[in-house]
Amino acid sequence: MSGPASPADYPLLLWPAAASSAAAHVDYLISAFTAVTLLLTVPIFLAITWFALVYRANRKVYRGNPTDRNVMVEMSWMLIPFFLTLGFFAWGAQLFDVSKHPPGNAMVIQGIGRQWMWKFQHPGGQSEINDLHVPTGQPVVINMISQDVIHSLYLPAFRVQTETLPGRYTQVWFTADRPGAYRLYCSEYCGTDHSVMDGEIFVMKPGDYENWLNQAGSTQSLAANGKRLFASYGCTGCHGAAATVRAPSLAGLYEKPVPMADGGTVIADDTYLRDKILNPDHDLIAGYKQVMPSFNGIIPEEQLIQLIAYIKSDQEPVR
Amino acid sequence: MSPLDTVLRDPDTPRITLDRPADYLHAQHTLRSWFFTTDHKRIALLYLASITGFFILGACAAGLVRLSLVVPNGQIFSNDTYNKLFTMHGVIMIWFFLIPSIPATFGNFLIPLMIGAKDLAFPRLNLLSWYVFMLGSLFTIVVLIVGGVDTGWTFYAPFSTTYSNTYVIPALVGVIIVGFSSILTGLNFVVTIHKMRCPGMTWFRMPIFVWTHYAVSLIFLLGTPVITLALMLLVMERAFHIGVFDPRLGGDPVLFEHLFWFYSHPAVYIMVLPGMGVVTELVAAFSQKRVFGYKFVAYASIGLASITFLVWGHHMFVNGQSQLASTVFSFLSFAVAVPSAVKVYNWTATIHKGTIRLDTPMLYAMGYIGLFVLGGVTGLFLATLAVDAHLHDTYFVVAHFHYIMVGGTMLAFLGGLHYWWPKFTGRMYPEAWGRVGAFLIFIGFNVTFFPQFILGYLGMPRRYHSYPPEFQLLNVLSSAGSTILAVGYFFPLGYLIWSLWFGKKAPANPWQAKGLEWTTSSPPPAHNFLRTPVVDYQPYDYANKTRDNG
Amino acid sequence: MADIGIAAEPVDLELAEQFTTKAQQREAATLGMWAWLVTELLLFAGLFLCALILRIQHPQSVTLVTTHLKFWIGATNTVVLICSSLTMSAAIVTSRLGWRRFMLGALLATASLGSLFLLLKGFEYYQDYDEHMMPFLADRSYVLAHDQASVLFLDVYYITTGLHGVHLITGISILLWLTWKASRPAFLQTHQNRIEIYGLYWHFIDLIWIIVFPVLYVLNR
Repeated sequence: MSGPASPADYPLLLWPAAASSAAAHVDYLISAFTAVTLLLTVPIFLAITWFALVYRANRKVYRGNPTDRNVMVEMSWMLIPFFLTLGFFAWGAQLFDVSKHPPGNAMVIQGIGRQWMWKFQHPGGQSEINDLHVPTGQPVVINMISQDVIHSLYLPAFRVQTETLPGRYTQVWFTADRPGAYRLYCSEYCGTDHSVMDGEIFVMKPGDYENWLNQAGSTQSLAANGKRLFASYGCTGCHGAAATVRAPSLAGLYEKPVPMADGGTVIADDTYLRDKILNPDHDLIAGYKQVMPSFNGIIPEEQLIQLIAYIKSDQEPVR
Repeated sequence: MSPLDTVLRDPDTPRITLDRPADYLHAQHTLRSWFFTTDHKRIALLYLASITGFFILGACAAGLVRLSLVVPNGQIFSNDTYNKLFTMHGVIMIWFFLIPSIPATFGNFLIPLMIGAKDLAFPRLNLLSWYVFMLGSLFTIVVLIVGGVDTGWTFYAPFSTTYSNTYVIPALVGVIIVGFSSILTGLNFVVTIHKMRCPGMTWFRMPIFVWTHYAVSLIFLLGTPVITLALMLLVMERAFHIGVFDPRLGGDPVLFEHLFWFYSHPAVYIMVLPGMGVVTELVAAFSQKRVFGYKFVAYASIGLASITFLVWGHHMFVNGQSQLASTVFSFLSFAVAVPSAVKVYNWTATIHKGTIRLDTPMLYAMGYIGLFVLGGVTGLFLATLAVDAHLHDTYFVVAHFHYIMVGGTMLAFLGGLHYWWPKFTGRMYPEAWGRVGAFLIFIGFNVTFFPQFILGYLGMPRRYHSYPPEFQLLNVLSSAGSTILAVGYFFPLGYLIWSLWFGKKAPANPWQAKGLEWTTSSPPPAHNFLRTPVVDYQPYDYANKTRDNG
Repeated sequence: MADIGIAAEPVDLELAEQFTTKAQQREAATLGMWAWLVTELLLFAGLFLCALILRIQHPQSVTLVTTHLKFWIGATNTVVLICSSLTMSAAIVTSRLGWRRFMLGALLATASLGSLFLLLKGFEYYQDYDEHMMPFLADRSYVLAHDQASVLFLDVYYITTGLHGVHLITGISILLWLTWKASRPAFLQTHQNRIEIYGLYWHFIDLIWIIVFPVLYVLNR
């Protein structure tokens, strides 16, 4: 892999590389916060040292009019720092809000964490272990799930991390803007080889990324793979266009509200679809008799992702 | 004033002139009189001896962890050994040292003395809680040493329930047992503080030390049952596959994080609050001045104990918790800064215009304030949502809580130990050695843990057995600091034991401090006071030079 | 005092050395027991919370499980425990009056009602076993295996009732020990308030069951 120097070339780092504008924002935030907290705390350090020296027992200094309470003073040093720091609460919450809402045009990369490796799948079906290639200028969402214990995908160059949970999808997103090689880690302790569950994230110019995708090669996209699985697991028998069993159509289902038997509705997101494949008895849908068998323990995590990718891509009504 | 009062209040009166009962250390000498004692002072010393032993074990594990991290590729220990070492360090230090440290030793010894009681309300329960504590902690420690556990002190499911191949169940059983000891201690303190105060000792005449212990006892009572339940559910899931946390059994791993942190965040205040109480006593005594804003400081203790139950979610900003919940938890965590700031600024104001002696306890207290402030503001960084998304589970967090727990609680513990050592043992420690030790510990601590803030911001995750080579320089620096810290710890360990036999005899009140504990002899007699004290003055009555010990 | 043919003994409290007055000692003991009960309540509250959350998340599974639970055994047990609280109260009242024999009888009645509860509960567990309602037994099939979420509620059921059972077993043991102690003539003169303090604990066990019963057996039925 040619390109910029690897992070390992630096003997002593004091500030981490930032590879996205969001990371730069977090750096501004923490720098400003550091400055304000220094403003609030350095006087304490100085005062304690100064008082301790000036008012030592053996020194004759003026100690008259000592006070042991002053409500105004106390209220002010209680509340002024609080309101000052609240600004940073708001700033942090605003950046966090952005980090929770990926733009609609984001590219989705699927990630699976398991003891002790990461597996990433690009939309075109290219997959890689531990390392990840992403283009610059393109918002990238990593949609993750864990196959066993809790992991956490940590990308310091983007100043983000999100836990990877078993049984539930979580997301992290970023828009890289500086090509280079950066570290990625598992940051939630996950057992024996926790510390080697790491790799590098290669940020590339869009053209280079295209080349890399072609080189990496893939026979089929995720959705195409999913379509194949949809047939081979027999899903088409009930959910397909020619089905004889009365089962809900899945075309155009993704991200739509689904009416439940108990009167509520649920949004058909990734976690919902996965749950439904594994535990169809759970949260029954209004208007249908539950006859679907459970695929718990039958379909592996990776194929679940492909099936869901297919359901997502299948937006036209079939029936 | 009766002659009896004179001898109680005047340290210079020769002690042999009166026919007085033997002090609690010399009242009885048999081994049985120690192991079956119901005297809160003896039980406090039993705790002190046991937690010192546990601290040494935990510190050894920490030393080995730092040794391993000198090289980036983890050649020194295998990955599993490393994981067991840091788990051992965490479990021992948190469950068996920090949580009982100040409450079970100083609290036990001093609360009855400070409120003018003969003993705690339930002396036999007090002894029972020491036995329960020893049973649980020794059991777990044997498991940790002989078998090993690799889950970290946090025991996150489903790793701990399904995937770890180590001795998780016995370790958990020990921790659950120790929880009962915490509950019993807290219960004893609450009842004692409510019902055993001597005549005239109103709530607002109690020393801040007692206030903070009252707050801590409430946390013991309200928080511990929840962690007991959470750990019991872990045991059941691991042993009987009763699914609660593992999604494969139909459970929810995030539920464990909620239950765990609902206790374990308040547990931080179990460690911090008593330290604040100790430091308040030290600052007042060595400035010879009334605590600035006494009522604010007292309320701040209760305030901290209350808010701390509402912020557990700030450990879960990156686990997919709803954004609204995260924002609320972030805000509430900022609110913790309010009572904390009250304490710090009020200590500073207490020192102002004081009559200051820089003896060892005061050095520790000043070190405490500095390090606690650093630990506190870095806590605010971590409470900031976008910043936590970067720093969560990195060495920044490690540095932050060591500043709070070692820089905070440990320094307060050592400061208090020096301050009350004459009261505990009747002997003075050697002052010069004490000051050298305090400096070494302060410097060693900062060299060890400050580099970890930088490591964390650079993105080094915690609990890493091997790490990228660019982090080596800072890790070596940190390990070097830990050797200074270790040398520093040997100082008090050595000279305090030495002083038991060779230290100068201590007067009743060597620091000219106020507070009922200084009105009785050093060491105190079996029932603390020869006659029940009556209080008709304010706490920290330093302006009144004639009273007590003029 | 009206003569009803029972010899009343003097009732008092022996002052422990750490207290200055008997009133102080009495209040301290009561407050201590209440503090303990608060922690106990929090222990159970976690489980109740789990049960309620499951009820909201998986209403159908919960209904499925509750229809399999033995409502009538649960209801009988509720009555049994309420009766035992009654006999416990009788023991407290008679201990205040100094009617030792009466009090001993009431204590024994309380203990036997507690044991009856355990017997019924054991029988209920046996029926659950018989009906393949124990999903955690690896070598035994589970009758509701088609409904994964039902396992969770059933687990909460076993944990909660099991924990309550442990409390009851502890309670009965202490009760028997207390009865043995109280059978000595001097007991009421020195330790009468132990009966009162213990009574708080027994009422608490009863109260927990009175919450357990509707939360597990009745709601969603």
